[in-house]
Amino acid sequence: MEKAFAYKNVIKTFPDFKLGPLDFDLEPGTVLGFVGPNGAGKTTTIQCLVGLLRADSGEMTVFGHANDLKKPEWKLNIGYVGDVHVFYERWTGQKNLDFLSQFYPNWSRERATGLAKRFNLPLNKRAKDLSTGNRVKLSLVAALAHSPRLLLLDEPTSGIDPVVRTEVMDVLFEILETGDRAIFYATHILPEISRLADELIFIDNGQVWYRTPKEDLTEKWRKIFFTLARDDFRLKAVVSHEREGHRHQVICSDFETTRRQLEKLGAESIQENPMSIEEIAVQILKGGRNVEVG
Amino acid sequence: MLLHLTDLSAEPLQAQIIRQIRAKILTGELSAGADLPSIRRFAREHHISVITVQRAYEGLEREGLIHSRRGKGFFVSDITDKTKKVMATEKLRDSLKPRLQEALAEGLNREEIKEVIRNLLDKARPKK
Repeated sequence: MEKAFAYKNVIKTFPDFKLGPLDFDLEPGTVLGFVGPNGAGKTTTIQCLVGLLRADSGEMTVFGHANDLKKPEWKLNIGYVGDVHVFYERWTGQKNLDFLSQFYPNWSRERATGLAKRFNLPLNKRAKDLSTGNRVKLSLVAALAHSPRLLLLDEPTSGIDPVVRTEVMDVLFEILETGDRAIFYATHILPEISRLADELIFIDNGQVWYRTPKEDLTEKWRKIFFTLARDDFRLKAVVSHEREGHRHQVICSDFETTRRQLEKLGAESIQENPMSIEEIAVQILKGGRNVEVG
Repeated sequence: MLLHLTDLSAEPLQAQIIRQIRAKILTGELSAGADLPSIRRFAREHHISVITVQRAYEGLEREGLIHSRRGKGFFVSDITDKTKKVMATEKLRDSLKPRLQEALAEGLNREEIKEVIRNLLDKARPKK
């Protein structure tokens, strides 16, 4: 199947920051969570794809079409919620939506109105009079009203109250039920997407360095306690190691590998404890490049 | 399907789904031939990613509790009462074993442990 999007060798440099080279893609029907601390390069990555920033080199496609600014058809497949919400400030929400609708053949006014209602967003107010949360909601309605096949969401629920956030999640799960839509969801808060995402991709310092099916994290990562009276060993797939005398505690990214090694070393009282996805994410972001992929 | 799936547990969501559907099948609440919701519908209804539901269904399929029919979805398998008993026994053993080892390590003797179990059994009612 055609990829929802693909980055090939994309690089973008700033005087004090380098993003990439980025090489990854997204299959239709899946949700890819894009996780990393603030300043990691998440927003820049998305802005290069939608054409708000021009990459120094590399290629990007959306459903097979290059993101060529001179031939903007590829944009019709995209719904984008960025970190800045740009509207005609003196116009009402409704007028802003009406204006946008002319660019999208698939735009549905009913859908826009229905979404606004579900998000509890008044459409008769001028954009400049909307609260931060309501501006985010207007962006979401604008991104969803033409039922795009690819959603690019950059921290889309920041500033939104929990009730509406649940409603937003509800809408996203509905969109996914059809099976041919893809969502790329950037956030620095993993719990926000720990239920939604099928896969996670981690970015830090402009480098994407770890991609994994979400379920593999909880299936493979363990906190292991064991007793071993020696120092002359180094464990594979271990991101953190603490010890008190002969008692050890390690956090590992593939417990079967670690267990085999421990058994070979003659470790005793091996006790394996499952970890929550949040604990694992903290370890990945904290342990940085120590994570051995594979 | 009514399930209680929570993020406030150390048990991963996938394991929660498997455990709760298994229980529904073993108690007969879901009977042989009953159809399960499609993976994508299940995902939407419970706000769970598709991959989680998919792996949970695969797990239940490996246990022989459900099977898929191409293009038609997932169905509860026909399991004999004998097999059900074997599975329930295995599950009980798996959950008791570490508890018993702990109890022994903490100084309870065999008679004392048996007494606790006898006591609990006298008070236990089947979970509905």
